[in-house]
Amino acid sequence: MARAQDGDRQAYSTLLEEIVPYLRRLARRWLRDADEVEDAVQDILLVIHAIRHTYDPGRPFGPWLLTIARRRLSDRVRRHISRSAREEPLKPEHETLSTVPTNLAEERADGRRLHDMIEVLPPAQRLAIKLLKLREMSLKEAARESGMSVAALKTAGHRALKTLRAKFVPHED
Amino acid sequence: MTGTPDLIRQLTAEAEAVRRLRPPLVRAGLWVIIGAVILTAVATAIGLRPDLGLKLRDPVFVIEIASAALTGITAAIAAFHVSIPDRSARWALLPLPTLLVWLSTVGYGCLTNWVALGPGGTVPGLSIPCLETIALGSTPLAVILYFMLRHARFVRPLATASVAAVAVAGLTVSALRLFHELDATVMVLIWNVGAGAVMTLVGAMFGRRGFLLPR
Repeated sequence: MARAQDGDRQAYSTLLEEIVPYLRRLARRWLRDADEVEDAVQDILLVIHAIRHTYDPGRPFGPWLLTIARRRLSDRVRRHISRSAREEPLKPEHETLSTVPTNLAEERADGRRLHDMIEVLPPAQRLAIKLLKLREMSLKEAARESGMSVAALKTAGHRALKTLRAKFVPHED
Repeated sequence: MTGTPDLIRQLTAEAEAVRRLRPPLVRAGLWVIIGAVILTAVATAIGLRPDLGLKLRDPVFVIEIASAALTGITAAIAAFHVSIPDRSARWALLPLPTLLVWLSTVGYGCLTNWVALGPGGTVPGLSIPCLETIALGSTPLAVILYFMLRHARFVRPLATASVAAVAVAGLTVSALRLFHELDATVMVLIWNVGAGAVMTLVGAMFGRRGFLLPR
């Protein structure tokens, strides 16, 4: 770690690779889900990276690493517990119709209607909706692609949503 | 989600050399010196209390100021230690003895004056300039300390923020008593304990949110 602090990238890479299996073992003691374990390991790596200047080369590396890892893991578990206390899993009775395809077909029909409505929007609004919402671009990316200014895109997107909402809602019920 | 080997490659690629933190004691000393300079500047601007010579002969007053200042200094030392991952979290207990002495002298002064003057002895109007002094003195101290300890947001944010708040309160209040004639009334207790409590509370909120924000 001391060499990594001095900017030795090779030493840093070796160190991170060597501690990953240890962190994974540690995380498995706290978390069951494999994805969650990998997420936690990556989070610990990111924190190590962010505060690597706090390591004192005159002291052993183990306790420094272990405190960070334990702290991040216990925070994660705590967050997890408070989230699961607030949320309730979706059960079959939460669906309007119990067979999955029936629900999806309805969604597809709604989707088609929405696409049809987008097609009849004024050109600027149509472009804004397509870039910002359907292709999920950021304002900057969309501005680059369309040649419109960020402000104009924002306004067009906002207007388009308003038009769509007005058209959609009366048919809803 | 990026894979862990990818993440390691990414982190390695941006691993510039970093400046190591100086030892916690040195950093605490630095903060106390900066704090003392700021508070001296505030004191010079406002002027010392006229009865200071007289008050310095009062042992309770001297113990109060000394214990508040010592609490500030020990809490600063504690905060800089607690903020480092491999230092013991028990450092947070370091300011406790002087904190107890400080709070007990405030309580004692308050009680004797309350008995001597009766309930009419409290004059809330007097304390508005005090509030300004607290804000003027403590805000820069707190901001500097926040920046010096911002790495603690990932590890022990709450403990660090709480001890840091006590450090700011101790140092500010010990200076405040040198230039404000407001003593030995209920207001002092409210100010001293109140300032500490508010700062601890703000510190705790920082600990939960501010310290944690960037991930």
